[in-house]
Amino acid sequence: MLSKCWGQWTWPVNIMKDHRLETTLYKIKQLNARLVMEAIHLDEQSPLNAGNSFKKHESNKKGALTDIEKLYQAVPQLANVFRIKGKIGEGTFSSVYLAIGHVRGGREEKVALKHLIPTSHPIRIAAELQCLIIAGGQDNVMGVKYCFRKNDHVVIVMPYLEHESFSDILDSLSFEEARNYMFNLLKALKRIHHFGIVHRDVKPSNFLYNRQLQQFALVDFGLAQGTPETKVELLKVIPSETQQRSSAYNRPPLTVGSQVTSPTSRQLVHQSATKTANKRLSSISQTQIKQGHKRKEDADCHSVQRSVFGEKNFNVRSSAFQARSTVKQPRIMDIPVRKLSVKKKAISVVNNGLGKKAASGTPAHLTCDCYAKDSICSICLSRRQQIAPRAGTPGFRAPEVLTKCPNQTTAIDMWSAGIIFLSLLSGRYPFYKASDDLTALAQIMTIRGSRETIQAAKTFGKSILCSKEIPAQDLKKLCERLRGKTTSFDNSAGDVQMNPSQEFALPIGIGNASDSALQASKKYTQYQKQSTHEDGGKEKKTIQKLPESKGWDRVPNSAYDLLDKLLDLSPATRITAKDALLHPFFRNVKQ
Amino acid sequence: GSADQKVKSKLKNPFLKVEDRRCRYRPFYLQLSSFPVVNYSIPRPCSPFDVEKKNAHGQKQIHNKQRNPTNSDREKRPNHVPPKHKRRKGYCECCMKKYDDLHAHVESEQHQAFAKSSQYQVVDDIISKFSCDFLELRENTPKVKRRKCNV
Repeated sequence: MLSKCWGQWTWPVNIMKDHRLETTLYKIKQLNARLVMEAIHLDEQSPLNAGNSFKKHESNKKGALTDIEKLYQAVPQLANVFRIKGKIGEGTFSSVYLAIGHVRGGREEKVALKHLIPTSHPIRIAAELQCLIIAGGQDNVMGVKYCFRKNDHVVIVMPYLEHESFSDILDSLSFEEARNYMFNLLKALKRIHHFGIVHRDVKPSNFLYNRQLQQFALVDFGLAQGTPETKVELLKVIPSETQQRSSAYNRPPLTVGSQVTSPTSRQLVHQSATKTANKRLSSISQTQIKQGHKRKEDADCHSVQRSVFGEKNFNVRSSAFQARSTVKQPRIMDIPVRKLSVKKKAISVVNNGLGKKAASGTPAHLTCDCYAKDSICSICLSRRQQIAPRAGTPGFRAPEVLTKCPNQTTAIDMWSAGIIFLSLLSGRYPFYKASDDLTALAQIMTIRGSRETIQAAKTFGKSILCSKEIPAQDLKKLCERLRGKTTSFDNSAGDVQMNPSQEFALPIGIGNASDSALQASKKYTQYQKQSTHEDGGKEKKTIQKLPESKGWDRVPNSAYDLLDKLLDLSPATRITAKDALLHPFFRNVKQ
Repeated sequence: GSADQKVKSKLKNPFLKVEDRRCRYRPFYLQLSSFPVVNYSIPRPCSPFDVEKKNAHGQKQIHNKQRNPTNSDREKRPNHVPPKHKRRKGYCECCMKKYDDLHAHVESEQHQAFAKSSQYQVVDDIISKFSCDFLELRENTPKVKRRKCNV
């Protein structure tokens, strides 16, 4: 199936000309032999460092051992090949084990075994494998070595990379390391976006980092979605506008899925205009997917909503509205749901979207005067809920995800990268702490400004009403203050030169004691003790000195400019991975 | 809810309300006790949106739901229950239904029928293209002979 499709690929217009693409699928043997481990969907408490997680979790050992035994039972072939050492990660949809196998010559090799939850649909499993095969193995994207299956149990074998826990190293990273980290993350994102993959769950625990080896790996395509012109054939059948993978707002991240709009046409299309027949449906819905099956493309449709189940299944009508003085926020499908657009029966009638608006008997045009006002009524609450993909982790979700914009693009991954960058620059992780989408949105407004957020939301068809106006923060001041630093230096060149003997430029843009700041800067090399607080003299503020500034005293303005572009509230203008790599911030980066 | 009688409610401050601009869907909203603020006084590396709580000793304590046990404090995860002891709820994509107990569902007749069906051909097709570089272990002694890892 795949090999046939591959030769026939036609590249979309946004193809990078400088990038030679393989048109052969099976490059498994050429996969980068870097050892990488995948830790999927681990909430931040999960120990990711296999090296010492066993000692740490002595109490868990019993459970972990039986898990290993269960895994051997579920997939007996594993026992012929691997010695499973222990569980190194657990998420909503999989568990990851460290195992040792032997390759030719008898050499031992560590691998990560990702055991997928047996409720995963085969198409989802196959799509994840395709992502790893097509995009993985280079440019810091995880590859795959092998895969085992017995019935509904599937185990993906990946290289293993021992890696740091982001929260453990955040404090000790040098500025140069942080810059390098971002560069490598963007490299991975450029690659997956090039293949039309939206990752949906970009966060530090899905971006493995081995500090010593300076190796990186973007992992976990369990939530990935395809753009309309994705090269990952099976992502085309991962559904649109349906709740796919979600879990309650507890520690494992939420997951949901849906269709994304082409990154080439970065304009968001109104949902109603995007409903068209899914021509693949009838074939996909049959039990067998024929080899070489190709989707007929709708020539005139750039962003085809591939709604497969009728909308009525997903746009839930609200329960009876009870007028109360205090209105509780309705539960918005917080039951774990992960739906695939695979029907059991072949569909003979192509659904062309007509009549969908009147789904579940809801009158089509229920108007009320609550729009953009501080009220709700039985009319507006009787409308069905809009369903849009929400997969991912709350603190890393872009505004268009939080506000249920149905057309989401690769730009959502760029926002997440911006949140990681925000953590690196501010020294705070996790940066946002929210248990629900609107709290997360409120926190974003606190940083980026309420008016700015509202304005941007209009561009993707959303009205936000906020009872309080909150000004946008200056990113530079914010990060420096959160980092515990009140001095500031401007490298007006926007370039990064890590030469310690470099002359400091005069501080600008800071309306406070530039004198003391400058003095502090001249003294910074002499400071020996961490967290020495010294009275700034004329200032009430304390200046925190670190034994080695590690370059954090000279973060160039270009860093905050890039951060601003990654955290662009409007997905249509948000910087792409490709452009971000060309940003002045990365000038002279070691590659 | 019938739309015959219109019942209206005012949202209490502070609030956030989101709706699609064409009014085709139900608005969703949040009413908070207070709007979030950037808290600079919380020490690194905590989130500036962390909630500070006084503990019994009157000391400030960072309430951190996402505490990482690998952090310096090395706390045990309070809520950690081995998965076999907790009933994992979820949704089965194969059977297209919710379940309250993962283990029970996976053992059910319906799911087992799916598990043994030809639906997994799409996965097997991909697997068949892989070559396996690993050797068979025989009583922990590597055999110097390549084998197919396949079933």
